[in-house]
Amino acid sequence: MEPITTEILVLGAGPGGYTAAFYGADNGKQVTLVEQNPRLGGICLNVGCIPSKALLHATEILREAKESAGRGIEFGAAKVNLDQLRDWKDSILEKLGQGIKGLAQKRGVQVIHGRGHFEDSQTLRVETSEGQKFIRYEKAIIAVGSKPAMPSAFDLGNKRIMTSTEALEIQDIPQDLLVVGGGYIGMELGTVYAALGSNVVVLEALSSILAGIDSDLVRPVSRIAQKVFKEIRVNTKVLKMATAAKQIKVTTQVDKEQREELYDRVLVSVGRAPNYNDLGLDNTQVTKNDKGFIQCNPQQQTDDPNIYAIGDANGGTLLAHRASKEAKIAVESILGEASAFESIVIPAVVYTNPEVAWCGLTEIEAKEKGIEVKVSKFPWGASGRALTLDRPDGLTKLLIEPETERILGVGIVGAGAGELISEGVLAVEMGATARDIADSVHPHPTLSETLMEAAEAFYGTATHSISRR
Amino acid sequence: MDIKLPQLAEGVESGTVVNILVSEGQEIKKDQAFMELETQKAVGSIPSPSTGTVSKVHVKEGMEVIVGQVLISIDTGAASKTSTSESTSSAANTVNLLKPLKSQQTAVDGAPTERHAENFHYESGSGVAPPAPPSVRKIALQLGIDLTRVRGSEAGGRIRLPDIRAYIQHLQEMAFQELGRSARPAGPVAAPAAPKETIDFSQWGPIRREKLSPLRRTVSRRMVESWTTIPKINQFDEADISALLVLRKRHTAAYEKKGTRLTLTAFILLVLARALRKHPSANASLDEAGGELILKDYCHIGVAVDTDAGLIVPILRDVDKKSLLQLSRELQDLTDKTRQRKIGIEELQGGTFTISNQGSIGGSHFTPIIYAPQVAILGVGQGQSKAVVVDGKLAIRTMLPLCLAYDHRVLDGANAVRFLRDMIAGLQSFDEADVKIK
Repeated sequence: MEPITTEILVLGAGPGGYTAAFYGADNGKQVTLVEQNPRLGGICLNVGCIPSKALLHATEILREAKESAGRGIEFGAAKVNLDQLRDWKDSILEKLGQGIKGLAQKRGVQVIHGRGHFEDSQTLRVETSEGQKFIRYEKAIIAVGSKPAMPSAFDLGNKRIMTSTEALEIQDIPQDLLVVGGGYIGMELGTVYAALGSNVVVLEALSSILAGIDSDLVRPVSRIAQKVFKEIRVNTKVLKMATAAKQIKVTTQVDKEQREELYDRVLVSVGRAPNYNDLGLDNTQVTKNDKGFIQCNPQQQTDDPNIYAIGDANGGTLLAHRASKEAKIAVESILGEASAFESIVIPAVVYTNPEVAWCGLTEIEAKEKGIEVKVSKFPWGASGRALTLDRPDGLTKLLIEPETERILGVGIVGAGAGELISEGVLAVEMGATARDIADSVHPHPTLSETLMEAAEAFYGTATHSISRR
Repeated sequence: MDIKLPQLAEGVESGTVVNILVSEGQEIKKDQAFMELETQKAVGSIPSPSTGTVSKVHVKEGMEVIVGQVLISIDTGAASKTSTSESTSSAANTVNLLKPLKSQQTAVDGAPTERHAENFHYESGSGVAPPAPPSVRKIALQLGIDLTRVRGSEAGGRIRLPDIRAYIQHLQEMAFQELGRSARPAGPVAAPAAPKETIDFSQWGPIRREKLSPLRRTVSRRMVESWTTIPKINQFDEADISALLVLRKRHTAAYEKKGTRLTLTAFILLVLARALRKHPSANASLDEAGGELILKDYCHIGVAVDTDAGLIVPILRDVDKKSLLQLSRELQDLTDKTRQRKIGIEELQGGTFTISNQGSIGGSHFTPIIYAPQVAILGVGQGQSKAVVVDGKLAIRTMLPLCLAYDHRVLDGANAVRFLRDMIAGLQSFDEADVKIK
C-alpha cells in the first residue's frame, strides 16, 4: 500500500495539536492531523477545560440563588435534571468539536482518525477503522496530551471510583463523595458535586489544598470550601480502597490514626500522566527526561531531529494555552524561523470559588530562588465593584522588582480572576513597571481597577486604601 | 564595607567570576584573595582591601561583573576602619550603587558611545531576562542579538525597537573601527566580511557546543589581527647546544641548592636579551600612523606558557639586567603563577619580544605568530641529536631548532639573519662565568 506523504504530521488534536496543524497550514505547509477520538479537541475540549467549566457555570447558579436570599431575592427549591444538564454540556462540546473540524477542512488539513504508532523517525502507522494506514512525514509534532493518573492501588475496576473523565459525565449525584487530591481538578469538580447536593469530603496528602499556590491567594478559596464541602482533611493519606456492596470502603490515615469510611463515589484527582505509551517512540530517537516526560529543546525539538513534542507530553505545567504556544514555536522552528520557548509568561487559572489566577513570578518561587521583590496588594474589600457583586473576598497583588519597579508577577484571587489576569500577562510580557499600570486609566466601577490600585499602592498612593509607604 | 571590582588594567572593564574563594560569615584578611576573575587578558585574583568578616557575597560563579560592581561586603568591625574604601554597609546604598552601573558606558579607544557601551550588561537582582515586549524579543531572536547587551531606554530599563537599532549601529561602528585599526594605512577600509552562513553540523551526527572563554576569544582575535596585518617572514636556523648542555649539567645541582631549576629557556632568555640590546629594531613597535619606529630601551620578554585554560604569555621584566640565577627563579615563579592562574593582568602587559619554547613537549621547527605590536617572536623546538660536520668531520651534536618570525615592515632579511646568528653564537659559546652563581 502506498504510504500517505505529508510535510508535517501532527499526532493528537488537542489545543496543542490543532493549533500546530492550523498554524502549519496557514504557513503553506501540507499538514496531516491524526487523532484517535472521533471528536477533535483533545482532553481540553472533551474531558477537561470545557466540560468542567460548563458544569461549574451551570451549578454556580445554584449557589448564587441561595445567596441571593440575603439580598432580598428568594427562589424556590431548585430542580436538577441531570440528563438535560449533561446534554447541554455535550452540545457545547459537539459545537466546538465541529468547529475545529470545519476549520481543519477550510485550511486543507487532512484529518485521519485512528491510533498512531511510530514505525521509524519518518513513518507513522495509523490503526483506523478502515485498517492500517502509513504516513511518511518530513517532520512530526507529538501532541498526545495526558490522562488522569490512577494509582494501581485504587484501580479496582469499580465504576464508583472515578477520574475527572468519568466525573464530568455526572452519572448520578452521589450522596457521599470523596475527592482524593485537593489540587485544582479535585477542587473544581468537588465544587460542582457539592453544588448539586453531594456531601463532599476532600483529602489532601500535603498540608494545604491547592499546594504550590501562594497562601494568600488560597485563603479565600479555603474559607468558602470549608463551608461548601462537608470536610477538608489535609496531611491525609489514602491507604486502601475496597468495594463494599454499592459503596467504596476507604481507609485513610492522619498522623498515625487510621479511619474507615464508606462513600458512594470516589473521585481520584492526584495528577496526570503523559499519554505516550504504545506510541512506538522506541523506534525513533526520542528520549525521555528523568521525570519520564519527552525531552525537548527550547525549539520543542526532541532528540530525534524530525520529531517535535508539545504540551502535556513534555511535562511541566499541564495547560492548554502552554501547549498552543509551544505548537507555534514548534511550527516556526520547522519553518526555519528563529523561535524559542524562553521568557514566556504562562498564566494559570484555577476555577474554584472564587477563582485564583496568576502569572509570572509567584511569592513561593521568589522565596525559593531568593529573588527580592516588593509585593503590593489591594484587597477587594475596598473595591466598589467587588461589593456590588457581593464578592469582597478577593485580593490583587503585584510582585515588583524594587530597583526597576518592573512587574515580575501578578496574583489574583476573586470572582472572575481568570479574566483579569490577562492584563497582568500583558504587563509582565511587556516589561511594564508599576508606574505604567498605575498611570493607565481603568474604567470604574470594575474589578480591573484593583490592578491599578495595587500598582498605586506600591507608591503609597492607592485612592481606596491606606498603604504603608 | 562594600568591595567593588577595581580598575584592573587599561581597557579591561569587565570579567567573568571564575571562583569565589570565600563564603558568607568567613573571616578575611587584608590582601587575602577572595575571588578569581577571568578577563579578556587573563585570570587574576582580587585581594581584599581590609580585614573583617564576609557579610555578603553579591556575585555568583560564572557571572559577568564590571568595574565598580559590588562583589562582596565585609563587616570590618568598629576597630579596623580603613580609609581606602567607602563604607557603604546599608542596603539602600547598595541599591543606589547598582543603578548607575546599569547604564555604565565605557568609551573604547575614543569611539563615539552615543548610548551603547561595549560592556553594557543587564544584571537583574531577580535574575530574570531584561524587560522587553514580545515583539522586540522576537526580533532580537531572529537577529541573534543577546538582549542582555542592549541598554533599554525606557522606564525600568525596558528595551524598545530603537534601542536594538542603536545597538546594531554600535556593533557596526565597532566592527569598522576594528577593521580600520588593523588595515590602516594599507588602503581604504575594506567592507566588513559578510556574516558566515551558519552550518548545522548536527545533520551529520551529534555535536556539542562549548562556550569560548574570554581568554580563547582574545587569543583568537589577536591571532587573526596579527596574521592579517603583519607581512611576516620565518627565518629558520639551528644552534648547537651540546656545550651549553654540558654547562647546564655541571651547574644544575648548584641551582637546585638555591631552590630553582636551571632550564634551557633561562639560557635562551639571557642570550636573547643581549641580542636585543645589539639589535634594537627587533625590540621595537611600529607606529604606522605616526610614521615612526618606537624603540624600547627596556627589555621585557614574554614567555608563552601552556595552561589548562590555553596559552598565556606572562612577561619577564628587564631581562637584560638580570643574572641567570635571577632569570631562572623569576621564570619558575612566573610559570607556576600562570599555570595556577594567579597571574595579575599587569604581569601580562608591556612585552617587547616573545619567546615560544615547545622543547619540553617535543616540537621541531614551527612558525610562531608575532604578538602584535611586537615585531618578532622566537620559536624554539626540542634539541635533537644530529649528525653534523664539525671541523670537516662528522660528529653527533645536539641541535636546537630555532625560528625567528619577524615583521618585514620593520626588519629586513639581513637584519634578521644577523640577529639570529648572534643568538646562535651566544648559545654555542655561552660563557661559564654567566652560569656561575656569584
